[in-house]
Order: sequence, then C-alpha cells, then structure tokens
Amino acid sequence: MQPILAVDHLTKRFGGLVAVDDVSFELFEGQILGLIGPNGAGKTTMVSLISGTVQPSAGKVVFQGAPIAHLPAFRRSRLGIGRTFQLMKPFPGLNVLDNVAVGALFGTGGGKRQLGEAREDAAHWLAFVGLGHRERQRADELGGPDRKRLELAKALAMNPRLLLLDEVMAGLHHGEIDEVVSVIRKVQSRGITVLLIEHVMKAIQRLSDRVLVLHHGTKIAEGAPDAVLNDPQVVDAYLGTRRV
Amino acid sequence: MSLLLQIIVNGILLGGLYSLMALGLALVWGVLNIVNLAHGAFIMLGAYASYYLFTLLNVDPFAALPLCMLVVFACGFVLQRYVLNLIVRAPMFNTLLITFGIDVVLTYLAQIVFSADFRVVNPSYAGANFTLLGTTIPLVRALAFAMAIALTLTVWLVLGHTRLGRAVRACAQNLVAARLYGVEPRTVYALTFAMGAALAGAAGDLYGVVSQINPYIGDPLTAKSFAISIIGGLENPLGVVVGGLFLGILESLTSLYIGSTYTDVASFGVLVLVLITRPRGLLGKTT
Amino acid sequence: MMRAVGSIAFAALLLTLLLVPWLAPPALIQFGTTTLLLATLAQSWNIIGGYAGYASFGNSVFYGIGGYGTAIAMVQFGLPFGIGILLGALLAVFFALLLGLPVLRLRGHYFAIATLALAEAMTGVVSNLDIAGRNIGLVLPLRKGDAFFYELSLGLLAVATLTVFWISRSRFGFGLIAIREDEDAAGVMGINTTLYKALAFLLAGFFSALAGGIHAYWITFIDPVSAFDITLNVMMIIMAIFGGAGTIFGPLVGAVLLSSISEILATEITGMASLFFGLVIVVAVVFMPRGLTDLMQRMPGLGWRYFRENLRLHRL
Repeated sequence: MQPILAVDHLTKRFGGLVAVDDVSFELFEGQILGLIGPNGAGKTTMVSLISGTVQPSAGKVVFQGAPIAHLPAFRRSRLGIGRTFQLMKPFPGLNVLDNVAVGALFGTGGGKRQLGEAREDAAHWLAFVGLGHRERQRADELGGPDRKRLELAKALAMNPRLLLLDEVMAGLHHGEIDEVVSVIRKVQSRGITVLLIEHVMKAIQRLSDRVLVLHHGTKIAEGAPDAVLNDPQVVDAYLGTRRV
Repeated sequence: MSLLLQIIVNGILLGGLYSLMALGLALVWGVLNIVNLAHGAFIMLGAYASYYLFTLLNVDPFAALPLCMLVVFACGFVLQRYVLNLIVRAPMFNTLLITFGIDVVLTYLAQIVFSADFRVVNPSYAGANFTLLGTTIPLVRALAFAMAIALTLTVWLVLGHTRLGRAVRACAQNLVAARLYGVEPRTVYALTFAMGAALAGAAGDLYGVVSQINPYIGDPLTAKSFAISIIGGLENPLGVVVGGLFLGILESLTSLYIGSTYTDVASFGVLVLVLITRPRGLLGKTT
Repeated sequence: MMRAVGSIAFAALLLTLLLVPWLAPPALIQFGTTTLLLATLAQSWNIIGGYAGYASFGNSVFYGIGGYGTAIAMVQFGLPFGIGILLGALLAVFFALLLGLPVLRLRGHYFAIATLALAEAMTGVVSNLDIAGRNIGLVLPLRKGDAFFYELSLGLLAVATLTVFWISRSRFGFGLIAIREDEDAAGVMGINTTLYKALAFLLAGFFSALAGGIHAYWITFIDPVSAFDITLNVMMIIMAIFGGAGTIFGPLVGAVLLSSISEILATEITGMASLFFGLVIVVAVVFMPRGLTDLMQRMPGLGWRYFRENLRLHRL
C-alpha cells in the first residue's frame, strides 16, 4: 500500500545550523505518528517542511504519490495538508466562527465558494472541538486552552487528509489533555491521518500507532510507542530516568 | 575627464549634506522604530532658525549651528514626550500617519508665521571657492560637507561608546529590561527623538546656506532621507554616509548625463530597486 | 420596522444626492463633485489598505495614469471621452500589475515607502514625455455642464462602494482580511496571497484611474505636478481611516466629513484648512485609531473609556 506521506532524505540548513538532517520516514493513511524529541530537535522545522512554510535544502517530500517539496504552502493546503501552529495565530479582528470559516473557504480542493456554506461548516467543526458556545466572540479574547481548540477547528475546517499538530497540548492540565486526546481520536475515526508533535508522553502513548524521535535534527528511533519510549538512546537523549 | 571629476566632487559634497540629513531619520527609525514623516519639517525649522539668526542678529550660519540644533531639539523633545509617546506601541502605520499629521501642522504653521516667500542665507563669503585637483569647490559647500561628516561621526561615537548611547540602545531592544535597570523609557525616547530632530535642524542650517528656504522644502527632503536610509541600510550607523554619498553622486551624474529633470526618477528608482533586491541596504546582510 | 425606516432614509438620501445639480448652487455642485471623487479614492484605497492591510502610498500613480491616459487619448488621438477613460483605466491596471508584483512582496512600512517612492518618481517620469506635454501638460477639450461630471462621479462612487460591499461578503474579501490579520497563517490555510494582493492592488488602481480620468476631463487640464499630487495619497488614507478602514461606508463618511470641514475653513486664513487637517490626523490617530465607525459602534457601550482604552493600549 502506498503511504500517504513519504519523507525521503529530507534536510534543512539555516546558514550554518542543520535543523533537519537526512530524515526519512513513511506515514500510512489513517495512522497517527507521534513525533517527539527535546526542544530544538527540529520537530517544528520538520512540520514546516511538510506544510510548506519552509523549503528544504535537500531531499523529497511526497504526498499521495506526488512530490510537493517545491510547492508553496497554499498549494499544499489545497492538496489536503493542514497544520496548527505552536504559537497560535488566530485572526485577531475576526470572530471565532469567521476564523474557522477561513479554513472552510480555502481548504482542500479550494474549499467552499459560498460564505454561508463555509460558516455552516465552521459551526460544525467548532462544535466538534467543543467551542460551539463561543462562536460570536472575538478570537483574540479567548484564553489559552480555547485558543488551541480554535487552532484545531481552523485546521479541521480545511478538510485535510493529513493533519499536522504542533504541541496542541502544551500548558493544558490533565482533564483538558484527556479532552484533546478524545478529539484527536474522533479525527482519526474520520479517516484523517495525523502527525502529532508532543511533549506530553501519556498522550503520545495513548494515541500513536508509531513514534519517531528526533535529536539534533536526526532520527534516532522509530517504532511502536512502548519500544521507542523504553529505548535507552531515547531515554538518554530526551526522557531522562528509565521507566519501568 | 576633469568634467567627470568635477561632477563626482559635486556629488560628494552634496552627499555629505545628504548624509547628515538622513542621519536623524535613520537614528530615530533604527533605534526607536519610529518612521518620522515630519523629518523634513525639522530640517525646514532648522533652516528658518538659521535664517532669522542671520538676518536679525547677524549670526554666521556656521556659528549658529549649535543654536539651531538646540531650537529644533526642544521642538522634537516636546513632540515625542507629549504626543508621539502616546502611540509608540501602536501599529507602525499609526506612526506614519501621526508624523504625517505633524508634518502638515508644522509646514502650514511655518507658512502662516514665516510666509511662503523664498529666503536665502547669504554670508559674505557665499561666492568664494577654491580649487582642488583641477576642480572648483565652493567654500560654503566644503564647509557644509565637513560639518556634516563631523556630526555624523560624533553621533556614531556617542551611540556606540557613551552611557547615554547605551541607554538608548537598551531601550530600543528591551523596554522592560531597560526599566529594570533604572532607565526611564519616556525620557530616553524623548531624548533620542530630540537628537534626531536636532540633527535635522543642523542639516537645515547647512541647507539654508547652499539652497533656498521656504516652508515646503520638507517633504522632498524627507523622501530623500528615506531613500538614503534604506539604500545605506539601517543596521550600520555609517550606512547613512554610504547612502548619502551614493545618492549625491548618482544625482550629480544623472543631472549631467541624462538630464536634471531625471534626478528624482533616478533616486527613487534606485530606492525601489534596493527595496526589492536588498531590503537591508547596501551595507546590510542578505538573509 | 426600524429596517423599513432605515431603507427609506437611505433611498431619500440617494435621491437627494442624485438631484443635487438641480437643487444646489454651482459652488456646491463643484464641491460635491470634488468630494465624490475624493470619496472614490478613499474607497479604492480601502480595498488595498483597509481590507488587505497593505498601506499603499501610491494610488496617486494610478490616479495620474488614468488622467493622462484619458488626456492623451483625447488630445493626441482625438478619441471620445468614453474610450479615453477606459484606455486610461487599462493603462493603470497594466502598471498596477507591472509595479505591484515586485512591490507587494514587501511587508509593512517597506511596502508603504516603496509605493511612496514610486509616486514621487512619477512626476519626474511624465514630465519628460513629449506625448504627455512634458512639464506644461495637456489641455483637454471643454465639455460644459457640471451636472454631467457630478453624476458621473456619483456613479463611479456608487460602483466603487458596491464593489467594496461585494468584497466584504465574498470569499475574496475573507481572503484579504485573513491576509491583513496574519499573512503567513493565511498562506498556510490555502489562500493564494500573491494573487489576492495583486487583485486588490489592481482594483484599487482601477478605480483611482477612473477618478483621475473624470477629474482631468472636468478641469480640462492636466500636468505632472497636479496629476501625481502626493498629498492626494495621504488625504485618501486619512479619509478612509478617519471614517473607518475595512468598512463599507467608513471612507465615504470620512471623505464627506473631512472635505466639508476643510472647505469651511479654507475660506478663512490660507493654510488654515491644511493646518486643521494635520491636527485632526494627530488627534484621531491618538484617540480613535480605528476610525469613526468603530467609535460609533463601541463608544455607546464604553463611553469615555473608549478613548482611555485606546491610549492605554498604545502609549509608552
């Protein structure tokens, strides 16, 4: 079976710094891949290389069988790649509903053409992530956890085939983390493939079909969650004391 | 050949004055992130200050330099402290608009108070010139050039090597930290902006010696100062010198080889090119 | 009920505006025409500056190109006004594309400065062209009847405003707003930012050119300095912002208000009107940076706190 995403010897240099160093992996449709590693390991850069915010120095990115490494970000979005940002960027002047409507208007395949339809879609996705009651609020008035839900709704409204989530659980407490985990499960149940960057290990364990570990830009481990999380190299580089 | 040399020398002399003109703008822009569209109005005020000192009190324009700077310094300080400080944290566009408003107010106040008549500052040595390497150099232009370069270097030294300079740069980089170190940003901002204004005033004083004065000279000079700041680059304080000399020589050459009506086209054409290809200026690093 | 009253009031206003040439003295008709043209300029700036968030200081370029296109077509080639003004507009659109694409890659105040530089350079470029009459300019054929120009300007403003109305509730408009609010995020969400910015810039240039063409024919004269008047740029920006950038009626309100007050003052000391303009700008930017429409929407709820809020957010 053809992978939905194939990353092949992908490298990114910023001047003298090698942020991503010769990384290759495959992602199959409907899977959830967890991407972990210490800060500065190159995780966000990897996501940016896939979403198109950043162009690679070398290597290939193949999405649904077609190479996309030199397409601009907006074209990749139209092909079906959606992402959230670590530093959340809601459109400040628009209300919550319209923020998500932008995603519906311009998503996969060019999105909806009619504003009314897009707003209906937006309402649906807001309810999906649990923000339905805040439709009319200004987006910049939302608190931290709600902003993350908004980011997720915006990305989902684009109808992605592949969803890149960049630390959506940072700063959340246990109850909130559980909620986000269940939302991501719902997303997967709709057939959407997920690449998940996280520092919250219990979420990684519960959600991921496979886990990939980056350290100083290189891949140091890849495999089933339990195996990877107990890999001594990973423990040394990132996790700290051994878990039993 | 000697014609070309003369043209280049003319360009250099003009360029020195241009550098000083742009210095105040670049200082305020680079350090305070304030884009001051009223910069030319400060130049105009400096020119009028020197004119009145000359005609009413017989003060030599070069001797009047510190006085002109002081007058415009005071204007700048008051403006920043009580008006501009109110919008420092607003989007950049607001700064553009408000300084434009100030520019209009100053220009039309000048028109009302000083009238729109052309003024000239004509010291007794105005026509004198000397020769150097086969080129003729007007004395006033040479003096203006010398003063301009001297002031530019002084500013560069002050910013880089004095306590005040460090305080200014600290504020520019991190307001909160600066406050913690006992720096009062409102005053430092006001002082910095006032310094920029004073430099414009100095340029105005020198400008009045080599060209005519009226209330409307400000806007074209603001535009030129922009061009110079961008072409030279805001990162390096010596950028304005590079930019000023570059523009002076470019205008001189254009005037001779293409036509004097094309000088503006050349200046602004180069500006647009620089913005598109090397936005950080000739001295800036390409990202 | 309120809606019906509002619609009737609106219709009555439109009717009055239409009938001005038969109701008002000549001076008022002329003032009206000038204001309508300024309002069109403000509205066209609104598209690129208000909705897309790209503060262009260069619309005067297209205003002038529109005027010169019309003038050259009529004077040098003997074409009728209708053709002339269309040619002027096409020429402006062509240049908007040519100049816009490189310049729109710049952000923030660099874009503003680049457009300002283009505007400054235009006077010099045109004053060297023989076909444009060099420094002296061109004299257009005379067409009597202020009513003609008034109604034409009114029609142009109506079309421009309808366009902005369409933009505000279209997919295109949402794209522009997203670009204004956060261009990088907009790109990631699937918006072709280059295309959209260029379209907005083109539209703004198009309407500015039409206004320039009408103006040139109206005053039967065009020369480089008046055609590419830099202060036009700032006037249209101030009017749009004072009234409320990014709204449908903001630029109109701003244009009418500021024009009227400026006109009243102009009869006093010369320079007073401009002085007033300058002070208005300073005060408005400090106390009501989001314009009159925002003030009218939020002040009823907040009272004087509205102004204190704006200060608190932005002061050092």
